[in-house]
Amino acid sequence: MTEEPYRWVEAISNRREYIEHQLAGGSPIVALTYAEGILFLTLSRERQKIFEIYDRITMGAIGHPGDIERLRMAAIEVASTEGFTRSTQDVSLRRLATFSLSPALKAAFEQIYGPPYLARMLFAELGREGEGNLFVRIDFDGTMHTSGGPHLRSFEAYGVLAGTAAQSAAMERHLAAGQHSGKTLKDALRTALDAWTLGHLTRDDGAPPTPEAIASAKKEQLRDAVLEAAVLDRHARHPATYRPLSQDDLGGIDD
Amino acid sequence: MEGIFRGTGLEIGSGAPTASGPADFAALLKRQGLYPGSPPVQAGQPAPCRPEETHATTILAFKFAGGVLMAGDRRATAGNTVVYDRADKVLEIDRHSLMAIAGVPATAWEMARVLEHSFQFYRRTQLQEMSLDGKVRALSKLLRDNFGFVMQGVGIVVPIFATYDTAAAAARLYFYDAMGAQFEAADYAVSGSGSPAVRSILYYANTWGPTPLREVSREQAVILALRALDTAAETDTATGGVDRRGRVYPVVKIVSGEGITTLSEEDLAATFKTEVR
Repeated sequence: MTEEPYRWVEAISNRREYIEHQLAGGSPIVALTYAEGILFLTLSRERQKIFEIYDRITMGAIGHPGDIERLRMAAIEVASTEGFTRSTQDVSLRRLATFSLSPALKAAFEQIYGPPYLARMLFAELGREGEGNLFVRIDFDGTMHTSGGPHLRSFEAYGVLAGTAAQSAAMERHLAAGQHSGKTLKDALRTALDAWTLGHLTRDDGAPPTPEAIASAKKEQLRDAVLEAAVLDRHARHPATYRPLSQDDLGGIDD
Repeated sequence: MEGIFRGTGLEIGSGAPTASGPADFAALLKRQGLYPGSPPVQAGQPAPCRPEETHATTILAFKFAGGVLMAGDRRATAGNTVVYDRADKVLEIDRHSLMAIAGVPATAWEMARVLEHSFQFYRRTQLQEMSLDGKVRALSKLLRDNFGFVMQGVGIVVPIFATYDTAAAAARLYFYDAMGAQFEAADYAVSGSGSPAVRSILYYANTWGPTPLREVSREQAVILALRALDTAAETDTATGGVDRRGRVYPVVKIVSGEGITTLSEEDLAATFKTEVR
């Protein structure tokens, strides 16, 4: 049946619809450049969603935990092997995304007799001295989204990940309207939480949420869910820059 | 799934963890053919040449009031030739672990690199820090894997390992033999060709010194380490002394609850001038 081209297209289209539906409920993730590095933030009820991949690379993901786990492991293995055989300086998000993750995801998605990856990931890489940071979103079909230019070599200040396109678009619009790179951790946490709440409340067919709705939803979510945040710290004393934020760091975010 | 992920042990679609467990970085390297296999050791067959027994260097470590101090000279030799006089034999493995190496530099540095990546790989994949016992054992396993090279007369490594036990809030010190046996040192550990002299000094200082080593201040600990290395350099040609003109001083590092501190060249130069010679 699937030998016929249009049947294949139909199968892919069904598969896409199914995965999009599964991912739609995922809690958004916000990554933001601030004065000291990069901040990752999300709220979750069930499991960890922000992970260390390598010295300067972090991943946030939504989707099926089994798939996220396999992709996370694969990313760590590719980065660690590269860092060991060459040098830690040779590990780059651009190469990890374009040469390793994207082709593998695309192939799994289009081989309709095998299972696709039910996951959407946001990667961030802390730039070295004098360089900007890089944010890349990779979807279940291997497509990459970044405003970092054609070679993933120009940089920007934020990256977002959400269950639906409408949510990510709303969050991106919100973050694009501000200047974040000089913010303190506390201010960056507030900005990221606002962006998260906006994404959380955005629906495909509906007016954008009002500031009052955002304020009350934020309070409610902070009470019911667990705030998860981590930073890639530009001033870390060690090559590994990833640091999960403690309750002390997060204090005062809901003021 | 073929292609990019092939050989990572986590081919997409298989998802099956490997026998050695997904958290073992050394096993991952072996699967990918990136870690040199050691030749097999066969019983009853004489080694092609006698295993080298000298590990031309001096490294020492001892517990003092502020944690563990680890120090090493800077000389690297090949036979009678001094190859390098700025070798760093005290290596930082992670935020709380130091490894000092005596033996063949190529193998030792490679081991340190594998170890460093192993601990990080474990933390990243398993989302928790490797236990202290796990770290100590990981080095033991690398030494055991290397034993084929030792029997061939190349690649012997006899390291010292120091780390901080956060649960017990105490620094811990281990030494190894070339086959991978690990021993926990109560007060001090030494290795390398200059170690007999240093060992005697540390024994003497610990037993009859003004205070046992564990109560010695940081300042006194650094003085003791510099004097011990100077003594070793006096008789052992493979241990480098201080070259003041070339500004070559031993590497001295300290492990404590706060992490690892490296003594600056200025500090060492000042201490050496006033307290050693």
